[in-house]
Amino acid sequence: MGLNLKSRLGTALVLSAGSALFLAACGSDNSGDDDSGTAADEGPVTIEFWGWVPGLEEAVEQWNDENPNIQVDFFRMTGDDGDKIPAAIDAGTAPDVVQMSVHSLPGHIVNNRLSDLTEVAGHLEDHFTPSAWGSVVFDGTLYAIPQDSGPTGLMYRKDIFDEHGIDVPTTWDEFIEAGRELKDADPDITIAQFSPNEIGFWVQSVWQNGGSWNGIEGDAWTVNVADPESLEVAEVWQTLLDEDLVTTVEMWTPEYWAEINAGTIATVNYAAWFPVLLEDSAESTAGNWAVAPSPTFEGSDAAGDTGGSVNVIPTGTEHVEQAAAFVEWLNTSEDGLEHLINGGIFPSAVAGLEHENLLTEEEFFGGQVINEVFAEAALTVPATWVDGPTYDLIQDAFRDEFAQVANGRKTFAEALEDLHARTVADLTDMGLSVHE
Amino acid sequence: MSISTSTTPAGSRRAWRSGVRWAPYVFLAPFVTLFLVFLVAPIVTALYTSFFSVERSGLGFGNANESVFVGFDNYVRAFSHTGFITSFGRVLLFGIVQVPVMLTLAIALALLFDSATVRWKRFFQLSVFIPYAVPAVVATLLWGFLYQPRVSPIVELLQSIGVSVDFLAPGTVLWAIANVSIWSVTGVNMIIIFAALQTVQRDVYEAARIDGASELRMALQIKLPMVLPAVFLTTLFSIIGTLQLFNEPMTLRSVTSNVTGDYTPNMAVFSATTLGGNLNLGSAMAIILGLVTFALSIIVSVASNRRKGAAA
Repeated sequence: MGLNLKSRLGTALVLSAGSALFLAACGSDNSGDDDSGTAADEGPVTIEFWGWVPGLEEAVEQWNDENPNIQVDFFRMTGDDGDKIPAAIDAGTAPDVVQMSVHSLPGHIVNNRLSDLTEVAGHLEDHFTPSAWGSVVFDGTLYAIPQDSGPTGLMYRKDIFDEHGIDVPTTWDEFIEAGRELKDADPDITIAQFSPNEIGFWVQSVWQNGGSWNGIEGDAWTVNVADPESLEVAEVWQTLLDEDLVTTVEMWTPEYWAEINAGTIATVNYAAWFPVLLEDSAESTAGNWAVAPSPTFEGSDAAGDTGGSVNVIPTGTEHVEQAAAFVEWLNTSEDGLEHLINGGIFPSAVAGLEHENLLTEEEFFGGQVINEVFAEAALTVPATWVDGPTYDLIQDAFRDEFAQVANGRKTFAEALEDLHARTVADLTDMGLSVHE
Repeated sequence: MSISTSTTPAGSRRAWRSGVRWAPYVFLAPFVTLFLVFLVAPIVTALYTSFFSVERSGLGFGNANESVFVGFDNYVRAFSHTGFITSFGRVLLFGIVQVPVMLTLAIALALLFDSATVRWKRFFQLSVFIPYAVPAVVATLLWGFLYQPRVSPIVELLQSIGVSVDFLAPGTVLWAIANVSIWSVTGVNMIIIFAALQTVQRDVYEAARIDGASELRMALQIKLPMVLPAVFLTTLFSIIGTLQLFNEPMTLRSVTSNVTGDYTPNMAVFSATTLGGNLNLGSAMAIILGLVTFALSIIVSVASNRRKGAAA
């Protein structure tokens, strides 16, 4: 505020109009990949690759040594680099291969930004877990190659459970019961936290329960945010919240880590990519944690998933086949997977789940081979989750609604009803068909 | 940009003369170019974009993505967007409280520093001004830390004397943001008013003092009326700043979900464009925000001119 009025005024307009300027200037003549080469034998080509997994440099170096005809030029994405991608694709200046969140796929597909990979990579289906593959195929068309995923496990404070003689819960009913026992044993400790700002907790549970936020039926989208699968999750969380079995704290804040370090939150049921963050931010609790399979819903032994990242080939890329060859190597070959695993991600490829570099003993977790739990979970995740074109909006809306739940102004079920209506409206606003 | 390359005295003189005509343009060119490219062009583009919409059907897959002219549809949609409309009410409420509090503080400090009684004037002036040099995002992160119940020394202190507060509760978070912006901008507004005070002829004070006026009376009845134009200027900037509120609530959102995604008009624009990918709707919202800002600015300017006219 104050004197910087130009910059303030600028912010609003540049935000909305800046990229429009690029769009207008560059036209819309990126007519797709019709003229792309037919084989790798047309001489050396250079593929530009944007990604963020640590150690991708070494992977690219190995590939370049072994494939003189397809040279890959790697750019490490940091910060907001992902935000540049849409404008770059629309302007026809995008990289040939891009790493992105699996949840952003449909938003890009409805804007014609991703190449159809069915022909060049459709044969890779068996290399991946069913849930990972299920989330990159839309209406029968393949738009991305899975890279990593976030199957869930229950990270819990073994010392706290042992001290109070509480059994590690294996179902959600047992989880609630364990929460009550824990509260009775020590009122300062809650079994979990409720974080309105971290929607991944919700996504993984709905996914685990065989639900989804969206679906495709014929030529229309379906909105499933308030379906029975979600309502069942709502029931669990409503109980936890109503009985004060969870503490409400925003995730990733200093406050959150203070609680974790103080040992007042006894479990974190979250994705395979979380342990490394836990280790980084809660050093003082080293050796006290263990990982068990996520509590399950009645009648199923499925685990959940938060979704992970994928590799896409933007429209307008000249060398789709060569790009696909590199992506296939990176995400399915023994060498490629080794680089990814060493970079610290949890691979979506089945072969990766058995890799010795993945299944190592973790000192932070008292020497447990925690990825055995996550690897087993990865194979049980239902292939039901379908992202919709308004994923980012839904996620943001969920956050706003869950803040109201946290404040006691709504129940989870009421919030879901409102979210359903909002999601239908957002999709309709985009001009898309919606089955109600 | 060579203005004169001629070597003969007569030639250089002629070139110098024609240079007089060119020089202003040459010096203006960088500003005008940047102004056109980064301010006028985006506004024009936003205006243009706001009248179009991307046509889609079915699942939206494999569409040509054509933009069609839709007239004022996006504006209608913006006005029926509850979050967007509510956000205007919110920033107005914010402004009604924050601007007077901040200006009162700034004026009081400026008058204090201008009076003869303050020691270590430079040091205190700098102390008040320094928060302005802290980027809004950093300032908010810092305050955000002080607001979080379990890590904040302030909350701890208050609790130890039996006061329990939640700075981030739904009803208080707006004022938590106001506090950050008051902390940030009071200093710079103080400097503007203080600078205006320096232009007042010292003999006026001399005369007042001889007439037996106290420091307080001089401050309220002589100094304040004489710096009113500066006060109006700072009011104008503050109101514009209020409407454009973005960095502080956006940053505070990382520690509390009680700041919604469309908490302020700018955040609603951000949400529509960046999250919703709807550039057309976002442009319409941005234009509306621009127009409201423009209208409020004019109202304040007219009021200030009228006041000046009355004083003259």
